[in-house]
Amino acid sequence: MTTTASTSARPPAEPGKKHILIVDDERPIRELVAEYLIARGFRVTAVCSAAEAYKAARDDAADLVITDLQLEDSDGLELVEQLKSERPDMPVILLTGVLFDQKVVDERISKKVSAYVSKTSALSELLTEVLRLLKP
Amino acid sequence: MSIDPPGPAGAENKVFRRFVVLLLLVLAVLAFVIVRSLQNLNRSIASNDWVNHTHAEISEADAIEAGMEAAEAALRTYLLTGDPRDRVTCQEAFADLAGHVEVAKALAKSAPVESQQILQIETLLAQRASFARDLLKARDGASGATVPQLLSGDTGAVAIHEIIRRLGDFKETENSLLAARDTAEYLQAQTTRWTELSGVALDVLLLAGAAWLVWDDLAARRRAVAALQEANTLLEVKVQERTAELTAANRRLTDQNLEGRWTNQALDHQLRYSQLIINSISDLVLVVTKALNISRINPAVTHLTGWNAADLVDRPLAHLVRFVREGEAKESLLFDPVAQALADGHDLRAQPALVTDSRGRQTPVHLHAYPVRDRDKVVGGVIVLQLVAPASTEAK
Repeated sequence: MTTTASTSARPPAEPGKKHILIVDDERPIRELVAEYLIARGFRVTAVCSAAEAYKAARDDAADLVITDLQLEDSDGLELVEQLKSERPDMPVILLTGVLFDQKVVDERISKKVSAYVSKTSALSELLTEVLRLLKP
Repeated sequence: MSIDPPGPAGAENKVFRRFVVLLLLVLAVLAFVIVRSLQNLNRSIASNDWVNHTHAEISEADAIEAGMEAAEAALRTYLLTGDPRDRVTCQEAFADLAGHVEVAKALAKSAPVESQQILQIETLLAQRASFARDLLKARDGASGATVPQLLSGDTGAVAIHEIIRRLGDFKETENSLLAARDTAEYLQAQTTRWTELSGVALDVLLLAGAAWLVWDDLAARRRAVAALQEANTLLEVKVQERTAELTAANRRLTDQNLEGRWTNQALDHQLRYSQLIINSISDLVLVVTKALNISRINPAVTHLTGWNAADLVDRPLAHLVRFVREGEAKESLLFDPVAQALADGHDLRAQPALVTDSRGRQTPVHLHAYPVRDRDKVVGGVIVLQLVAPASTEAK
């Protein structure tokens, strides 16, 4: 697992494994999500800030990004805009503890991200969204 | 032969014991045949000696008969010629005859019947020799009687015939013994032959039995090996299935563990986030029960009043806040508006009130009360106290 508190150590490239970039300022959240996805055969890079996310995305293009909303140096939706300016087709999941109303999700959030998953949801729901978005 | 269960040490020992017993039987039969053969061989050698001995006796009997006739002829010749050389010849013939008799006696010494026969023949021959001596003396003129006188009284033909008859009896006896011995030897040879053939046949059967035991044991071992391989294959399949089940179970447990940790983490996050929001508010926020007892405060309360949570929790709201009635100079002790609002489930906004700090000083505030609903049931309320701007602090 390549989760670190403040750095984005790149995992070795493994052919056939999808690369997922996780952005969250809470280390336990990052590590849990990374451990869960690695156990399911994904290659994971986990970082704690928007700046590290930009760098990681440039160094090793991700197939999918999972980001928190509130980051130390930015917010997740702004990060998504920046990343999508370079790769508009890259799927993004907003994983946040901020509970949005479904109407808000439909009218606002869904225009910026591919999926919204609450941190109160089960990990299996996150996996379902990951598999759906990475489906060829 | 039982082979189930395959390859037990007891079954192997049993087979080995049977095999050894069979080999011992083979060796015993072989030893019996060898011993019997050696016995028969020795018996045959002894029988050959006896046969040679018997033939020698018969030959001596023939020699006695021939010698007797030669001696009689030499005696007659001398009696006719009176030639001293014939006399010597006659004496030598009788001497040879006596030699043959001695040999025959020696040969028949071990057999009482034959020995008796030879002695009788010797007696008769001795009589004939005595008569011959008398004739020789008469011929030599050494006795009173003349040869013709002696010859006229001789019953030679009868005596010689008797000797020949007895010699014939003797030879017949010997030939009968030889014939009986031949029969016995033939039977013995047959017995030996059957013994050897039976022994060989029995050995062959025993060896065949031993070979069958070995073959059966090998077949049993092959079956046991096959059964063991099959059991190993089944075991391997079961181990693989069990390993797969354990792996799946482990995966499920890992997932459950991760989900549990994730749930705890999410709960902690939500609590912390909610706490953070409340703590970030600079207005005084209190949570009260439906009985209007304080259950929670935010840091702004402590900051403004000097009371900490331990001082206020489970204390009546009136301990901290008092309403100011419109048009009244002093504060009311009643909290009916808040109680009424919580009972009705309505908000109460911007009600003038006074907050008493830990040093007894009072600060004017605007009180807001919001009922806390849990599943459409009011379980308490949130009280927000906003400081009143100094310009508008009429109560003060």
